[in-house]
Amino acid sequence: MQSTYKYLLTSLLICFVVFSIQAQEKQDKKIEVKEPKTKFWDGMTLQIDAASIVSSTLLSKDIYSVEAGAQIDIKHKYLPIVELGYASVNKTSLENLTFKTNGFFGRVGIDFNLVKKKKDVKLSPNLFLMGLRLGMTNATYTINNMVIASDYWGAGQTLPESKLSPSKVWFELVFGIRVEVVKNTFMGWSLRNKHLLTTDKVGEISPWYIPGYGRNATSNWGFSYTVGYKF
Amino acid sequence: MKHSTSLLLIAFVLLGISCASNENCTEDRIVKLGVGFYTQALTDTAKNIYTTRAINLDTLSVRGLATNGTLIDSILYKSKSIQKIYLPLNKFENGSKFVLTFKTAKDTVQVLHTNSNYYISLECGCMEVHSIDTVLTTNHLIDSIKIINHKVNATNAEHIQIFIN
Repeated sequence: MQSTYKYLLTSLLICFVVFSIQAQEKQDKKIEVKEPKTKFWDGMTLQIDAASIVSSTLLSKDIYSVEAGAQIDIKHKYLPIVELGYASVNKTSLENLTFKTNGFFGRVGIDFNLVKKKKDVKLSPNLFLMGLRLGMTNATYTINNMVIASDYWGAGQTLPESKLSPSKVWFELVFGIRVEVVKNTFMGWSLRNKHLLTTDKVGEISPWYIPGYGRNATSNWGFSYTVGYKF
Repeated sequence: MKHSTSLLLIAFVLLGISCASNENCTEDRIVKLGVGFYTQALTDTAKNIYTTRAINLDTLSVRGLATNGTLIDSILYKSKSIQKIYLPLNKFENGSKFVLTFKTAKDTVQVLHTNSNYYISLECGCMEVHSIDTVLTTNHLIDSIKIINHKVNATNAEHIQIFIN
């Protein structure tokens, strides 16, 4: 009697295991069918930043900046990027101090596409991106006409020209979108929250503007509007 | 097309926000040596304890003494009742001399200091800050001087205490 029970129990257990494996296989097959296919290498986009060009020509007469980037698409989810640019600044303050700089800058980083893959729907070329960048520049900076104002004791003095060439490194948190406007042509904007990793000593002469980073502060906001073509 | 129009609109709004900046200098660029007047009174003769007390001076006028020894015409202070004064230190020399004329006597105070440039920003430029090394004085009415803060990098701070006899 006991052996009959044992036999029945074992048979039931085997049946349960077999059925559940079969059911799982069916489910897996269903998912496989519904998930849209993504390629490992999904192309490379070459892009330029229109915002820096517009800003240089229309909004600011003192700052000239251009930048471009190359971004590859891996599985339509991971998008490593390299950005290179050049900036030149010739600024005179209300106090008549002049600040000049020109130099190249570069950034490397990665974006993540946050657009979820929908079942039974063709993969969208549009991207909602969140990413990180590490930026660096080795530009030189000069500051002139720095005056120690006159006071009770006598006339003021103009300090000699200050020439600086500190390496500046920063990281950026990037949020943005990119939309395919014509086949393989993309437009999009991104908002960048920048944080300087190499800061200046308080009271020491420091650059007013850092190519690729913007106004010199411990943190800064940046904006880019990219136009790109996907190969 | 709808996409690109709304993208451009958002882009220009964000571009405008990111380009907004203030060009005026809002920082204070003047630093002065804060001087307080005090007296010391023996409050416990058995234990030899002195108590320091801030005092109001009846009459005081202060003028700077130039490096060539001539008295500068402009008067820094002329007051009938005063407890604290703020004096500009010489930005271009490592010493500043002041002649303090009290009601009954006159003393010369010499502050030896080092000067350094302190860069604020492109909007504000540079200011001069000082570090006090020594303070010397004649002793007609002044008894002694104590340095309580060597760094002169702000206004409204007290840096030295002058003890009056």
